[in-house]
Amino acid sequence: MLDLLRRAQSLAALSGILVLAILISPVASDGSRIFLQPGNLTDILRQISLIGIIALAMTFVILTGGIDLSVGSLLAISTTLTAMALTRAWPHASYTSHILRAILASHILRAILAAVAVSTLAGAVNGAVISALRIQPFIVTLASMIGVRGLAKWLSSNENIDIGFGRDVAAEFAAVFRQKAIVIGSYACAAALFWILLARTVFGRHVRAIGDNEKAAEYAGLPIRGTKIWVYSLSGLLSGFAGVLYAAENHQGNPNAGVAYELDAIAAVVIGGTPLTGGKGSISGTIVGTLIMGVLTNMLRLKNVDSNVEMMIKAVIIVLAVAVQGRDSDK
Amino acid sequence: MAAPLLEARDVSKRFGGVAALRHAQFSLRPGEVHALIGENGAGKSTLAKILAGSVKPDAGRILIDGQPAAIASPLDAQRLGIGIIYQELDLFPHLTVGENIVIGNLCFPEGRLTSPRNVDAFCRPFLEQAGLECGARRMAGSLSIGERQLLAIARALSMNARAILMDEPTSSLFDDAAERLFGLIRELKDRGVSIVYVSHKMDEIFRVCDRATVLRDGETVETVEVAATNAGEIIRLMVGRNLQIAARPYRRPLGEVVLEAHGLTSGKLKDVSFQLHRSEVLGVAGLVGSGRSELGAALFGLDRIRAGAIHLRGSPLQPASPRDAIRRGIGLLPEDRRLEGLMMRMSVIENSTLAVLARMQKLGFIRRRQEISALGPVVRQLALNCPSLASPAASLSGGNQQKVLLARWLLLDPDVFFLDDPTRGIDVGAKQDIYRIIDGLAAAGKGVMLVSSELPDLLRCCDRILVLSNGRLTAVYDAKEATQETIMASATSFGPHMRKPVKDAP
Repeated sequence: MLDLLRRAQSLAALSGILVLAILISPVASDGSRIFLQPGNLTDILRQISLIGIIALAMTFVILTGGIDLSVGSLLAISTTLTAMALTRAWPHASYTSHILRAILASHILRAILAAVAVSTLAGAVNGAVISALRIQPFIVTLASMIGVRGLAKWLSSNENIDIGFGRDVAAEFAAVFRQKAIVIGSYACAAALFWILLARTVFGRHVRAIGDNEKAAEYAGLPIRGTKIWVYSLSGLLSGFAGVLYAAENHQGNPNAGVAYELDAIAAVVIGGTPLTGGKGSISGTIVGTLIMGVLTNMLRLKNVDSNVEMMIKAVIIVLAVAVQGRDSDK
Repeated sequence: MAAPLLEARDVSKRFGGVAALRHAQFSLRPGEVHALIGENGAGKSTLAKILAGSVKPDAGRILIDGQPAAIASPLDAQRLGIGIIYQELDLFPHLTVGENIVIGNLCFPEGRLTSPRNVDAFCRPFLEQAGLECGARRMAGSLSIGERQLLAIARALSMNARAILMDEPTSSLFDDAAERLFGLIRELKDRGVSIVYVSHKMDEIFRVCDRATVLRDGETVETVEVAATNAGEIIRLMVGRNLQIAARPYRRPLGEVVLEAHGLTSGKLKDVSFQLHRSEVLGVAGLVGSGRSELGAALFGLDRIRAGAIHLRGSPLQPASPRDAIRRGIGLLPEDRRLEGLMMRMSVIENSTLAVLARMQKLGFIRRRQEISALGPVVRQLALNCPSLASPAASLSGGNQQKVLLARWLLLDPDVFFLDDPTRGIDVGAKQDIYRIIDGLAAAGKGVMLVSSELPDLLRCCDRILVLSNGRLTAVYDAKEATQETIMASATSFGPHMRKPVKDAP
């Protein structure tokens, strides 16, 4: 019951912001509100997709009572590796016939898999160190945030790896993976999968149990180490996938990409009603939290509000959201 | 008669779904030692905490010297001359003895530097009064439990407390430390300090208290002059009727040996050997700190076994973790259900099925219907009383929380149950239910080890009783032959000598 109320609460906040956005939206020359134009609405969804995808796995991490600060760096290594693989492994191959298009697809697939595998592995290492050495997740992921960023810059010699607009593998990749439908569709699929994973599976139940009371989870014989390694691996997986989308969207592999993404993802999770102590929370909450941040940003940009002012407003929203939720959970 | 020093009128307090206090009354005269007595969960600690300002009442009034007083925080209580010594002895282990005394202390002159010399000078008289013979510069974390108690008293004295509330002060003390505490209480009383003594130990009440207020289920039953009553009368007031946990109807013949420990030695245990049979309830008696919980920890893979051997169903067992122990067929109901047992924010059903989800899934997906149908019979068997299976564990009463935890183990159905104080802090009705379940487990051919602080219950429910003292097994009794006195004697004897060991059953 309380849970329902809390969920309704963040939905109410989202509706409030939507109404406000519609009311203050500038009006186009044909009289329609720019905010409500389909192009703008899908732009919002595309803009929140990367953070949204990262925040899904971040929800699992925070539910176990942990934190993952390395997601931005994992995104950077993945985006860099994707671009490197596409531009350096098959630099000037050009594809015209249907048979060659199949080869093209396999090239792209291999590049993506390699990049995502590396970031997933890095996530698994985070999880293994956290559970085996019993070091606080904050410290471990802070270290890998620094270390993996260094690795990405070192591999790319500190340079952006541009993806051209020609007819090579890299350009084809970018053309496909920067489409709104693909980006938004990826987010929607990932959200659905992670929602099911949390709500319906043994793994999801274990994640919540460990976050609620790790000692009791140990006494109940739950696989604590394994669950934690999986949770951080998933965080690596989704950050890596977000990195692939980032490379396509920006036409480059940028080792400096994703700085401060961890903070946006954590903010979305927390606004969505998952406390940093873990144990309770939901994927639907995180999605609402992500939407609140996205709509807010869009609304302010349509009004040409200075981006520094935007940051200040977001800061207030984060604290307000958590303050309101904190009051019910005392009961 | 002078106005009472401290008085509570019609005080009520709820925690979630549980009413901890209902219109409780309490009145403390100047210079008396007043016992606040009741069963676990009767509301004694809550009332003490309300009087000390660390818990806010939902309704009711507090009067000091006959004047209404607002005690909204521990600082207010300190200003009004009320000190409290919590059961948990809330000290700062990484600060020195002196720093622990002056921190947040309104009597420590403001503006004075907390240089070690100033702190020493301020603390010395109070440490002397409390009889704590250690320098003010020692780290509080290095003190023994008994010394910490004295430190807490010194702190209360340094705050010029006219009334000191002591919440179960002897619960973790050995006899000599308790003796010293009683002496100190008498000294304080002679100096005109009033003391509220929260306890459920009858002998202590009769030794140090002038009056006693009995609480039951959050209500004040009666305040009696200790000199004009007896233990039986107080017990009758505490439980509301002449309580008899039904004795087990008959003792069934024991089955084969299911668990055997030989020379078991861990961090705390020293050379403990015993056998547990199928259909047997084997009691484990001992004071807190005797190693009774550590016995469970060793069997359950929580503590490393340094020497000795365990055999389960005839094959050697060296559990590496609780997960391992569970897989081999040992279940442990932990002593502290909040800290080690339940996921408070998760629902009744999620808590119950947590350890057996592997049986209720397909490709990793939980089969909810199977979950519900498996839990149904167990809920009936336990007489579990909850609004719905989806309500969070935190919303249940202590007794029902314990039943949810028990449901987890009943569903898992191990061969050996180690139940660590399963009736701690729960009401009489739930207690009866739990003893009924234990009997049912024995009837089903399980081996049950039952730790309890309540000796009469052990005597009624067990076939045999192991007694531990200081990590050693000091006696094994047949429950039919043992008495509370003989068990207590073995529990407080520190030698390794064995009393007449009972022949292991055929």
